[in-house]
Amino acid sequence: MRKFLAVLKREYIQRVRAKMFIVSTILLPVVMSLFGIVPAVILNIDAGGPMRVAVIDQTGKVYGRLEEALASDESAGEQTEQPRSGPEMAGRAFHLEQVPSVGPDADAERAKLDERLRGKEIDGYLVLPPDFMEHGKAEFFNNNPGDVLSRRILQSALNRAVREQRLIEAKVDSETRQGLFKPAELQSVKIGATGAERDAGGSFVLVFAVGFIMYLAILMYGQVILGAVIEEKETRIAEILFSSIKPFTLMMGKLVGVSLVALTQLAIWGTAFAAFALYGINLLASRGLKAGIPTVPFAHYIYFALFFLLGYFIYATIYALVGSMVTTTQEGGQLAMPIILILVVSFYLFLPVSRSPDSSFSFWVSMIPFSAPVAMLVRIVTQTPPFWQIALSLLIGFSTVLVITWFASRIYRVGMLMYGKRASLPEALRWARQA
Amino acid sequence: MTTDVTVQLDGVSKSFGDFTAVKELSLTVRAGRVFGLLGPNGAGKTTTIRMIVNITAPDSGTIMLFGGTINPSVQDRIGYLPEERGLYRRMKVVDQLRFFAELKNVRGRDVEAKIDEWLARLKLSEWKNKRSMELSKGMQQKIQFITAVLHDPDLLILDEPFSGLDPINVELLKEVVLDLKRAGKTIIFSTHQMEVAEKICDDICLLNRSQKVFEGSLRKIKSSFGRNSVAVRCVGGNGVLEDPALVSKLVNHADEAQALLAPGADAQVLLKRLIESGAVVEKFEMVEPSLNDIFITKVTEHA
Repeated sequence: MRKFLAVLKREYIQRVRAKMFIVSTILLPVVMSLFGIVPAVILNIDAGGPMRVAVIDQTGKVYGRLEEALASDESAGEQTEQPRSGPEMAGRAFHLEQVPSVGPDADAERAKLDERLRGKEIDGYLVLPPDFMEHGKAEFFNNNPGDVLSRRILQSALNRAVREQRLIEAKVDSETRQGLFKPAELQSVKIGATGAERDAGGSFVLVFAVGFIMYLAILMYGQVILGAVIEEKETRIAEILFSSIKPFTLMMGKLVGVSLVALTQLAIWGTAFAAFALYGINLLASRGLKAGIPTVPFAHYIYFALFFLLGYFIYATIYALVGSMVTTTQEGGQLAMPIILILVVSFYLFLPVSRSPDSSFSFWVSMIPFSAPVAMLVRIVTQTPPFWQIALSLLIGFSTVLVITWFASRIYRVGMLMYGKRASLPEALRWARQA
Repeated sequence: MTTDVTVQLDGVSKSFGDFTAVKELSLTVRAGRVFGLLGPNGAGKTTTIRMIVNITAPDSGTIMLFGGTINPSVQDRIGYLPEERGLYRRMKVVDQLRFFAELKNVRGRDVEAKIDEWLARLKLSEWKNKRSMELSKGMQQKIQFITAVLHDPDLLILDEPFSGLDPINVELLKEVVLDLKRAGKTIIFSTHQMEVAEKICDDICLLNRSQKVFEGSLRKIKSSFGRNSVAVRCVGGNGVLEDPALVSKLVNHADEAQALLAPGADAQVLLKRLIESGAVVEKFEMVEPSLNDIFITKVTEHA
């Protein structure tokens, strides 16, 4: 046990201290923040104060509504509108000014406004013709047609203003008006053993996230494990080690040591990501948009953790097995290709499993160690299988991890004794028996 | 039970597929002695050692260490410097040594003191905080030697420890080995360089083609061979040294020749014949046979 810890400590400290590790650990959140925050910040840069818009309201009714609509847009944004896509865009502030109009033609006023536009006293002016309520056609004169963003906000506000005014004219009271624009919500409800439970589909998103992080961790750290196993062969340290420690203990120490490095990095990234997410949720909340962490039973989080570890270790040990059979990292890289293939196939099995989680197909898929992690999690969040199935899946999985590690350590020991020889599969089997 | 036998092999065999690496080997390494495991390349030396340190198990036969069978705690009493050896390239020397000590279940403050002591003794103190990739090959080899002795083992196994070292460092390590012997440690020393073995071994075991050719005290075997070898330095005397009736084997060194007398030949007759032939004899000395000569003789007999 103490020797196991010695190996573990060495793997961990050597790797965490490495410059590559420190740089990549810091770099990802920085890059993430650059992509996530910088565009929003740039869009938020308010160059040149509020937009000054003069309005010639020939209908005489819409100006007030428009002012209201713009004001509400700035403060919260309306639930009736579909959420805006893209990065958070702060609407540019508007400064409205009503220009009284006398006749049906506004030529005199327009000429004056043109003059002011050229003199940069205003940024644009809006002409609402007398038949605006019927045809809904308005004109916006400005010297910067490229400012799509401001025009869109103005259009949206105008749209709401005219709709409001039409409803008022149709004698619809304010309560009904608000009621009319309540958005529809589709809530999927899961029928569990205890009756109907609310489920926003969020748990499914979490399963997907767990699967994805697992996939990422294996892609990033599979090669590291491969390298760690080959390291002593390449540096010819293996023989000294084997005179002091059992190959299985050595293999386990390496596996767990490298895995702790992976978890450290993921934890740091996770914390950074959580910070961004909280910041984002707060930002959305301040604009009246609700976004939250999906509510999932606490037990599910434990399953997430267990099956994540299972999935990670299953593939990590296969990388260790490959490492024990080859003599150089390059050779290992080629042999590792099929692993990725198994991983991808197993990952996509979640689709048929999610469609019919109770089928016998799903049962077997969630028992086979390679596909179990994702498949079993899908089953747990859709139609939770009996506990014995979950326990059995974990038992099979972690036993497989131990068996593969044991097998890898046998091959490793014999492979070391036959320097510089890459094992073919039958040879590897013979070695495992021989050691 | 304390025993004066540190390692005991009894009828040990090991083969890899069709290849027999060690065949029916029995040997006894006595406590506090330097035991030379000698033989040409491929004789089975390394496989024998690997079985002693429990890296591979024998197919048949028994191995006893310190009077008991092999187990993990016995492994901690052995220091092993393999022929194939390396260091973690990016690890600092001191971290490296601490790690290898931990693998032998030795840790704590004593280790730090021991590391400093050994580094000083092998004149490596200033390299303590360097990465091993910055060290020369000879320095790395001395670090590897320290990893084998740092945990103060009772049995030290050295496989070709001096190969690739310059004469100064060979002397340095030889001194250390002899000091360890004086401290009561048992040392198994494996090499194919007979000249080195000759200088430090008490007992030897000659291996050839997976089998034992001879085992016993170096002193005894040498005296049993008697002084039947002559070191000669002379000018002229052509043909006399080549006479098969007198000399069975002649080896020419840089400035002298070593003649192994033919069975039944007399050294005095050889000297007389040389003088009669008009040679100027500068040196004529009866010498013990070298281990190399003994080895060759034994192997020839054996075959």
